[in-house]
Amino acid sequence: MAAHEEFFDISKPSVRRSMSLLASGALIGLVIAGYGLFTAKGTRSHAVPPEAVALVNQRQILRSDFMTQTQTQFVLPFAETSREQRRTVLEDMINEELMVQRGLEIDLPSYDPDVRTALVAGVELEVTADVLAQQPTLEELRTYYDRHKDKYSTEGVMQLRDLLVKTDASHTAAGAHAAALAAVAALRRGQTLDAVIKKFGLVDSGRFMDAGHADTGDIFQFALRAKLDDALYQATLALHDGEVSDPVEESDGVHLIAMIKHRFPVAQAFEEASNQVWTDVKKEAQAKVRAANLAYLRSRADIMTAPEFSR
Amino acid sequence: MTHRRLGGLALVILGIFAVVAWTHQRHVAGELLRTEPDQILKSPALLSAAMRIGRPQYQRHCRSCHGPALEGDAARGVPNLARNVWLYGNDPVDVERTILYGIRSGHPKSRNITDMPALVRTGQIAPDEARDAVEYLQSLAGRPYERSAALRGRSIYFGKGNCYDCHANDAKGVADYGTPALTGPTWIYGGDRESLYRSIVNGRHGICPAWVNVLTPVQIRALALYLVATSSPPPVSAARN
Repeated sequence: MAAHEEFFDISKPSVRRSMSLLASGALIGLVIAGYGLFTAKGTRSHAVPPEAVALVNQRQILRSDFMTQTQTQFVLPFAETSREQRRTVLEDMINEELMVQRGLEIDLPSYDPDVRTALVAGVELEVTADVLAQQPTLEELRTYYDRHKDKYSTEGVMQLRDLLVKTDASHTAAGAHAAALAAVAALRRGQTLDAVIKKFGLVDSGRFMDAGHADTGDIFQFALRAKLDDALYQATLALHDGEVSDPVEESDGVHLIAMIKHRFPVAQAFEEASNQVWTDVKKEAQAKVRAANLAYLRSRADIMTAPEFSR
Repeated sequence: MTHRRLGGLALVILGIFAVVAWTHQRHVAGELLRTEPDQILKSPALLSAAMRIGRPQYQRHCRSCHGPALEGDAARGVPNLARNVWLYGNDPVDVERTILYGIRSGHPKSRNITDMPALVRTGQIAPDEARDAVEYLQSLAGRPYERSAALRGRSIYFGKGNCYDCHANDAKGVADYGTPALTGPTWIYGGDRESLYRSIVNGRHGICPAWVNVLTPVQIRALALYLVATSSPPPVSAARN
């Protein structure tokens, strides 16, 4: 049998064939390993990969970014830009990359508040990108709306006077309370506000001066909540046009609310609130992802706190 | 014996073919990335390679929204890509950019310059004024319209509604902002009176995901070229929804 016939006859052992196959296997293994070694992400490369226009300290400047930058800078389709224009853009992008790398080298994020803010915002955006890109279905929106119906109403708006009988050296708490009660009774009997203010020495509390004019300005319900103590706020919510609240004692005296005009909140149907519902669904989903991300980061972080903050 | 010899030879040949095919594929991918997109459109060999790579990517990733024939879905505000009407410009570079980073995708480089505001909901214009604006748009699209309402709508377009600022004086849209033409014949959310009215009342903010970390650079380039090459210009005739 000729030597070459013996080589291809796999029913019989052949030293030459075994050695050849061994050598081929080793060669293929070396080629694959070499390819992986020289092309894997992060490995040093001596050639610019096809998707990049430059490598700056082994970091790619992507061709797609370069083309968009060129178009934007010269307000021309990429195909119509000249070689010089492209060269200018490339040099600018290389310079930018060098500056960014230098920023990381000197650890800019550790001390520059602007860079830190931008980094935090960037990471949050990255984490929530998928949530932002997902479109909630109509059913999901409706389910959310049904679960949070109380959130969807128009904002209540009021015009009111927060009147006060001050407690001081000349007015005891009991005296102020009696005066306020008499003022409330007079108002409920139909006396005019001006006459009652004059007769009982009431003054505007001044709490709404920055939220609108004390006597004529519209005040939103949410602003009212921020300005008033809970008891007075609750007393105010129920008042209709022309009504007056019972006196409520606070640290500076006895207050009463005279409601001039009250536009009550109106519940919104799903169709009316759908835009807000969409926003709220997105916000909730983003908050969940953000919290999960922070939980993950904390789980793998080594955080040590000063003794006064340790649990 | 001969069969075994032939089998061994076939394996060797198959291996050689595999290596050659792999090398060729790498070469084509490199060529597709290095060649300017508009040059690829003029090169039958490269374009055919791009179509070969781009078509399955479309079917796998884009078809669920944009439809099997790129026809879109007005009910969901998914643009029709079959008519060579591109919100952000018809250069393949622009299309590639949109695929890479998406539209309002949350990616820092995504296209996100402006939204269609909810003009009526925010109180910028009244519902009646929105109806008038719709009549004006009907007149621009060459459809039957009510003349006096359209005239009032024109002043809304250039005045209180501030529509011209994004959609341009001629209502042809502005690719830099990604604002659509309001003259038809293609419409993202439908060009009938009710759809246009709803757009003005509630605003619009469509989304396309970013594919930068899902597809490889060559797949994205090929997909952009597939879309541009498959798309054909819209008919100039009467507007349809």
